[in-house]
Amino acid sequence: MRRRMLWAYAFVSAPIFALLLFLLGPILFSGWVSLHRWDMLSPVNEMPWRGFSNYVFLLTKDKVFLKSLGNTFLFAIGGVGANTILGLGFALLLNSHIRGRALWRVLYFMPVITAPLALAVMFSFIFDRNFGVVNNIITALGLPRQPFLSGPQQALITLIFIAVYQFVGYYIVIFLAGLQGIPQDYYDAAQVDGAGALQEFRFITLPLLRPVMLFVVVTNTIGALQVFDLVFATTGGAPANSSMTVVLHMYNTAFKFSRMGRASAMAFILFAIIMLITLIQVRLLQDRTYQD
Amino acid sequence: MKEESAILRPLGHTLKYLTLAAGAGIMVFPFIWMIIASLMTAGEIQLRPPVWLPAEPQFSNYSDLAASIPIGRLYFNSIFTSGLIVFGVLLSSSLAGFAFAKYRFPGREFLFYVILATMMIPFFVTLIPVFFIVRQLGWIDTYQGLVVPGLTSAYGIFLMRQFIITLPDELIDAARIDGASELRIYWRIVLPLVKPALATLGTFSFIGSWNAFLWPLLVINSRELMTLPLGINSMKSLYADNTNLLMAGTAVAVIPMLFMFIFLQRYFIQGIALTGLKG
Repeated sequence: MRRRMLWAYAFVSAPIFALLLFLLGPILFSGWVSLHRWDMLSPVNEMPWRGFSNYVFLLTKDKVFLKSLGNTFLFAIGGVGANTILGLGFALLLNSHIRGRALWRVLYFMPVITAPLALAVMFSFIFDRNFGVVNNIITALGLPRQPFLSGPQQALITLIFIAVYQFVGYYIVIFLAGLQGIPQDYYDAAQVDGAGALQEFRFITLPLLRPVMLFVVVTNTIGALQVFDLVFATTGGAPANSSMTVVLHMYNTAFKFSRMGRASAMAFILFAIIMLITLIQVRLLQDRTYQD
Repeated sequence: MKEESAILRPLGHTLKYLTLAAGAGIMVFPFIWMIIASLMTAGEIQLRPPVWLPAEPQFSNYSDLAASIPIGRLYFNSIFTSGLIVFGVLLSSSLAGFAFAKYRFPGREFLFYVILATMMIPFFVTLIPVFFIVRQLGWIDTYQGLVVPGLTSAYGIFLMRQFIITLPDELIDAARIDGASELRIYWRIVLPLVKPALATLGTFSFIGSWNAFLWPLLVINSRELMTLPLGINSMKSLYADNTNLLMAGTAVAVIPMLFMFIFLQRYFIQGIALTGLKG
């Protein structure tokens, strides 16, 4: 028995040590740093204490941060909304009697496994103001050229489009798996009772899909609020910070301007927001079958 | 559904296929356009009115690219580092998951809660300290700096524990009575029975590390150690005026992975659907 216990400790020790060193330790350290001023070059024990002034500065004076917070919210709301609606819509299509389901799935899934950076480069070219194929098509149709990623009004919405393009296939697959897990008996029974397609969707599909819906909305929101690669490699937050996001601003603050304290405070604000939103989503969407 | 008229049904059917085809067209088009543009001359890309196809496919773009970008090196670095990360994640997650699922030891509950708590920590919160630690270790611009922080995954431990806990205890007890060592039980009994979970976790960590950008961007400076996404990023400035070459470079970085995916799509997609259901 004792020997077995030692084996168990041997099995968990290395992973636990790694998690302490690369996750738990760092998050505590990050919280500590956020209360200081630090350029990462001066010794850790000589960081000047700043209390909550980094947080106060960010939330009251840092216009770029507040702008990036708003942008990030819009990005998440737009992306999650579109991914959920399109993901479920196409999953419903694929779940009906359709030929070549595997082929469709593969085609929709291709962007999911492609590096975000590669997609960013492809779409920077596709949406280019001067030589992009989308503008080529638009002007061939006699419509005015659009700035897309280089336009203050259009950069963020174009980024949302790219993000939806990238991830919708993933959510189609998740929704499809959820739909296939709903027993056919329910639909058969509903048809005996004379229910129409809309009623079936409203009273069978949607309620039974609730856990999957929760998973999709929560994971997608968490991911979208952390967007970096796509923005870094397309607009870099430009023009005029109209597409600046929190993690990109944090990256710039930390690794361009060496303000580790302020960047850490940013990370904690975003982390708190993510936890709060997740909590609200879980409350709103969790299975209430037994409470109603 | 059943009362649809004989006229409406084929119409609805056509509409379904049209919608699916339109969506699929949008999905595939960027890849097609990347390849078409990669075969144009630099001049053709900027022509007005625009051309939709190269007058003559410029396959030499690809040899020009190969002459100035160490494609093989980028691939080696991506395969090597992703391979190590996937191996490390599978090994550490299955060992720890096994211990949490099938052993009793003081502190088990507490340590498992620690794992659950760390699962929710997003990477950007730990980015600065982990960079600092890696720098203190002298691992900037090394393979170990790129790989070591990614070798363990709290999510992986959780996932493996959830799967291993469903295996019957009798199986493990019987093996013990037969005199099997704990390591042998892990290797011969537990691992083969959780292959689907290993495949899922392996797929996830492979896609994650293969496509990773922010961490490599911070840790790696020298060209010899760049992974594919870093390579694409450096081509962006190198080929700012040669979009045809930039597209060729991106195609070379992306297309082989797509082929591998199409080959293995069944496993990819099954694994991913599985995590959605296990939540």
